[in-house]
Amino acid sequence: MPYYDEIELGDEIGPVEKVATDDDVVNFCDIWGAPKPNRFTDADTAAKSGMKGTIVPGIMTMAMMAQLLTDWGGPGSLKDLDLVFRQPVPHNRPLTMAATITDLREEDGQNLVECDILMTGTEGERYIGGKAIVALEGR
Amino acid sequence: MYLDMHSHSVSSDDSRATVEQYVKWIQVLRKRGHQVDGIVLTEHRKFDFDKDYSALADQYNVLIIKGSELDTRYGHFLVYGVSQGLTRAIDFADTRMDARALMQAARQHDAIALPAHPGRFGIGLTDYIAQGETFEDVEIVERFNGGSRQGENERADELCESHNLLGIGGSDAHLTSHIGTCMTNFKAGIKNANDLVDALLSKEFQPVWLEDTLDGSSQA
Amino acid sequence: MAMELEYDRSLYGVEHQAGPFEITDEIIDRANSSIGESGPAFSSDDGAKEAGYRGRIAPPTLCCILVRQVALPDVKVQFGKTQMHAGQRVEPKAPVYAGDQLTASSHLKDVYTKTGRSGTMVFVVWETTFSNQDGQVVAEVQESFARRE
Repeated sequence: MPYYDEIELGDEIGPVEKVATDDDVVNFCDIWGAPKPNRFTDADTAAKSGMKGTIVPGIMTMAMMAQLLTDWGGPGSLKDLDLVFRQPVPHNRPLTMAATITDLREEDGQNLVECDILMTGTEGERYIGGKAIVALEGR
Repeated sequence: MYLDMHSHSVSSDDSRATVEQYVKWIQVLRKRGHQVDGIVLTEHRKFDFDKDYSALADQYNVLIIKGSELDTRYGHFLVYGVSQGLTRAIDFADTRMDARALMQAARQHDAIALPAHPGRFGIGLTDYIAQGETFEDVEIVERFNGGSRQGENERADELCESHNLLGIGGSDAHLTSHIGTCMTNFKAGIKNANDLVDALLSKEFQPVWLEDTLDGSSQA
Repeated sequence: MAMELEYDRSLYGVEHQAGPFEITDEIIDRANSSIGESGPAFSSDDGAKEAGYRGRIAPPTLCCILVRQVALPDVKVQFGKTQMHAGQRVEPKAPVYAGDQLTASSHLKDVYTKTGRSGTMVFVVWETTFSNQDGQVVAEVQESFARRE
């Protein structure tokens, strides 16, 4: 894990590329028993909501974004993840996740690293944007 | 001087950046050799009379001007030079207001309202003009918008060329690291919102991308 | 005048309780496998103990999944046909351990109108606090939904 003292504004976390497959999404929706049919796993339902195809649930993309951060800062490092879902996220397509460090501050005895975090597509799609706060150990 | 004419702080519902984070990030951009002199905070559907950013502006040597971005029935409009008089004349929260009435009221109150991201699909001025609407008072549009999807800035270019319009640039930042991605290069020195309105009326400005401000790049 | 939105304003200031939600190993396994998570602290007691926890912990966005199981009242917004998930925020406050029993308390935060590429939209924002069996707050979750024409 990186130490707080080593981090500078403008440092990047990632990018990491992932694909959410049809099976992954079915598996994820089963966790909370998403009512069926739904726009995540059923193409007709997605089409009725104006989607080009089935989409990845926002909360699943959220889990993927959190993973980028906990892989970097440790399992308990995430303090805040605040995302705006800008465009529907498709299945079976490369999704690139990356964060840029924008602020460093010490607050309530914690070393906080704030970053912008994005999920983008291969054609310049900006699926998701938001910010995150991660707490790191000092040296 | 280079001003980012379009940005949103946490005062807007969909932004996640504080003004302090923006001005800190501008120090990062400056360290990388870019020139960013100031930003205009164009919060959605409101004007923050009660917010004072002068201490941050002094500390970080960044001009901070307040403006607004209003929803109208003909797309979003950036408003510079907002006064109490203008907010009494126009309901800033009204998402169905007539943009033409807004532009006229703005001029009556020494402000300027101009179309944001006119090439934006579904909500840009380009689409309303295609539907047969006319906008006599539009002389300037936001030609470069940092939040555009593919093809949208190109549509704004075409609108400027076909209707002989002037263009400004703004990042439309909702995240810290997006501030300054496009800006407007003004010939005049600008110190406040009134100067900004005058500089827009002078027509001596052009839109730029952040990359255009690197040391050694040509300046207007 | 601005569009006067019709919805159930009596929901403001009312807390809606839900739960308990048991955090089973199976839920954590499934959340992990669907995104390819293999972090040791999220995978086993041993892995978690090595990272300084007393037992296996859930990944930090698990409460964002649980909030889907909270039956929130209808805000009765008289606008739009389609509802999309527009945004979500989670602030983890304490570890969630396998075996925990969580309860949720939700309230309506805001309802407002804006316009975008897909026309006029009405945003509905809910806030939910998750607590464990000891009454300790483990996460704050905020979700916003956009209704459009």
